[in-house]
Amino acid sequence: MQHGENIRVAPPGEGEAVAKVEGRYLYCVADSGEKVSLGPIGINGQEVYAVPYEDVCAVVHDCPAEPYQSTDAEVIKGWVIAHQRVVDKAWEKWGTVLPLGFDTIIREQGGSGPQQNVENWLAADYQTIKRKLEAVRGKAEYGVQVFWEPQVIARSIAQMSREISSLEEEIKSKPRGLAYMYRQKLENAVKREMEAKADQCFRDFYSRIKKHVCDLKLEKTKRADDDRQMIMNLSCLVDGDKSTHLGEELEGIGQMEGFSVRFTGPWPPYSFVSA
Amino acid sequence: MEPTRDSHATLVDLLDRVLDKGLVLYADIVVSVAGIPLIGVNLRAALAGMETMLKYGVMQDWDERIRAWEREKRGEKAVSMVSGDGDGPVDATAFAG
Repeated sequence: MQHGENIRVAPPGEGEAVAKVEGRYLYCVADSGEKVSLGPIGINGQEVYAVPYEDVCAVVHDCPAEPYQSTDAEVIKGWVIAHQRVVDKAWEKWGTVLPLGFDTIIREQGGSGPQQNVENWLAADYQTIKRKLEAVRGKAEYGVQVFWEPQVIARSIAQMSREISSLEEEIKSKPRGLAYMYRQKLENAVKREMEAKADQCFRDFYSRIKKHVCDLKLEKTKRADDDRQMIMNLSCLVDGDKSTHLGEELEGIGQMEGFSVRFTGPWPPYSFVSA
Repeated sequence: MEPTRDSHATLVDLLDRVLDKGLVLYADIVVSVAGIPLIGVNLRAALAGMETMLKYGVMQDWDERIRAWEREKRGEKAVSMVSGDGDGPVDATAFAG
């Protein structure tokens, strides 16, 4: 925040020239010491190029040392897509990358230019960068989300559970007031059974998926935009040729009644470069 | 089944990754962007249905619980690996840290 305040650029139209602080927007670190340009493929068509140090490089574009900010969702989406396009390009070209999150900008400081600071950073973090590159070499990230249809699951639970079917029977013979109380009881019983079922499914799917991945991260489940409910949200780091095995396992899960699976990727290893 | 990266169908997955994840740099040469989480939040608010919430409160508790269970399990695994008790060639904790 403090930095941001110091480097506000004068609004356009103001006559005074304000010295802009220079920066470098970072897309990713790649497994190559090649000094090369990737062309005007960056955010807002910026010229993207590699800043090498030894046998690694940072993929950057030149910009003022200010964050990209907007309240317009469409604008941000465009930037994020451009960010990803550059990371993809580098990934395709060099095979192994450490993607950075959106809006990471290195600035000039104390007489040291932004380019120099990028190189200094690569030099200072060289060992860590090499270790992380090795950890993701030949691997890709996949998103796995498992959903169930609560109605379908609840129905099959009701058929299976003796407690629930006897409650359903009893309701029929009860007067209205009592029936209401029974219905509450029934709902609670169904909820309990649903949670137990979710537990069991989660553990089962987790161990089935884990067999096919090098690493996995449990993400928060999200609200689905239909009747389904997400019961599992994973980011998986998968060895190049193992994704077919994972796909087959997920196919099996998706074929169970009331269940479906979203399988996305391959993504650059966004979820596996932070530690 | 085949994974998809269709740009429309997986925009949310892309945003989740690019806005919230990736290599993080802690250094005073980095333009400190207090705006990063804000951008994420603003964007999510702008896109309906992207809230990281569950439909039923009761399942929300369950979600917390099951994730706590997983964290615990990962911890146990790390210990059991030390004693040579891993259950396979690949392990979720092998690359952690």
